[in-house]
Amino acid sequence: MGALLGELFAYRALIQSLVLRDLKARYRGSVLGFLWTFLNPALLMGTYTLIFSVYMRIQMEHYPAFLMTGLLPWTWFSSSLVVGGTSVVQGGELLKKVFFPPQVLPAVSVLANVVNFLLSLPLLFGFLLIFQIRPGLAVVALLPIVAIQLVLTYGLTLMVSSLTVRYRDVAQLLGNLLTFWFFLSPVVYPAEQVPEPLRPLLMLNPMAPLLMGYQNVFLHNLWPEWTGLAAAAIASMGAMTVGWLVFNHFRWTFAEEV
Amino acid sequence: MVAIELEAVSKRFRLRTILPATTLKTAVVERLLGRRRDGGKRRESAFEALRDVTLTIRQGQTFGIIGRNGSGKSTLLKLMAGIYRPDAGRIRTFGRLAGLLELGAGFHPEFSGRENVFINGIVLGLSKREVRGRFDEIVRFAELEPFIDEPVRTYSSGMYMRLGFSVAIHTDPDILLIDEILSVGDESFRKKCLEKIADFQGRGKTLVLVSHDLPSVAGWCDEVAWLERGAVREQGDPPKVIEAYHRGLAGET
Repeated sequence: MGALLGELFAYRALIQSLVLRDLKARYRGSVLGFLWTFLNPALLMGTYTLIFSVYMRIQMEHYPAFLMTGLLPWTWFSSSLVVGGTSVVQGGELLKKVFFPPQVLPAVSVLANVVNFLLSLPLLFGFLLIFQIRPGLAVVALLPIVAIQLVLTYGLTLMVSSLTVRYRDVAQLLGNLLTFWFFLSPVVYPAEQVPEPLRPLLMLNPMAPLLMGYQNVFLHNLWPEWTGLAAAAIASMGAMTVGWLVFNHFRWTFAEEV
Repeated sequence: MVAIELEAVSKRFRLRTILPATTLKTAVVERLLGRRRDGGKRRESAFEALRDVTLTIRQGQTFGIIGRNGSGKSTLLKLMAGIYRPDAGRIRTFGRLAGLLELGAGFHPEFSGRENVFINGIVLGLSKREVRGRFDEIVRFAELEPFIDEPVRTYSSGMYMRLGFSVAIHTDPDILLIDEILSVGDESFRKKCLEKIADFQGRGKTLVLVSHDLPSVAGWCDEVAWLERGAVREQGDPPKVIEAYHRGLAGET
């Protein structure tokens, strides 16, 4: 694990310029610029509001604000995994020609997505204002929440990106898994709606305490539940360890197999 | 002083291209059924690209590697560059190493020449500040001043190669690995490249050259190794080894 972080640090200049390239490539030539990041969650927000508030007539205060608060971090999580999952295969041409630590590639995907997420926060604050919701001091708690999600996301992306080199169908499998995962996470429904006997199922999912943390902080100006967050932190360290072990196992085959 | 040292290095490649089992589904199904479709025998065969290669390249040397296609020359360079890891043996390199294995590796077509110079320079081990300091020289050498802010996809292949070569040579490494690229651009640019490489040699830097262009190898190198089916067949004085190589080729036809 020390080697992982040490090599990432040694190649920070490369990571920085690749992240910038990633972000520029995404927004170059698009009028709306980074509003695109916001567009996909906004469309999902509109659709779910229509389904649940209008069609199903479920009454929940500020439902669009609730949705948006969960959709943005979820989008960061899932697009990191989807884009980062193929990052080693995509970066294969480079890996075959120049020596650099391959864990740089998934790191770039995850970091570019976290920058996107952070850039979309001001828009989220603006959106919340429409519902007269003003986040307060509790936003400080975003720091540990984002940090834990970053570690979790990077650990899983390490795993997926290295497995994808050997097994090309992992990417498709991942798409399906993420759909399940999305609906099992408290994004479109509040965690309190989950019946008591089924709560442990929810808490097996490290994304649940994180999402609940965002909702507490943004919507209610409340501190996150620290026990849940601590569990998520432990899970994310586990994901990182396993991810690194898997990645390291395959790492020397990348230049030959991509 | 030693620049590159290889001790009994072997490299195998798995031959898996014809295997269907490259999806997770197949792998899982086969494992669950407890069999592999060929009746339990491992289907992975290996191709031994390099066998027990021992070489010492001294600092300041220009070392040539010759041999027929498929003899393991490029694999050897990639091992030296750290891109591949040997299956057996040990490789040590001393000093900053850059490989001209492919020019413009990682150029992004949608980005301008300027942006690609920065990224490519950083990939090759320079800091941002170092690239900035050398930027004008890189562009001037590549003769791309008017086009440097155009996207690289609009470049001709010659322009692309010139920029790639210019970035790589301006990283000013201690050891330069070159794989068959002494034919960049037109005659005048080629001459400039050769001058740059001669200058590199003159400053006591180490050069490893893989080429089929035997007269060039004879002219540039002070030691040559002839690879044959992954092993060093002969090594030493360029004229002597090249002659032996010629005789070897003639003897087989």
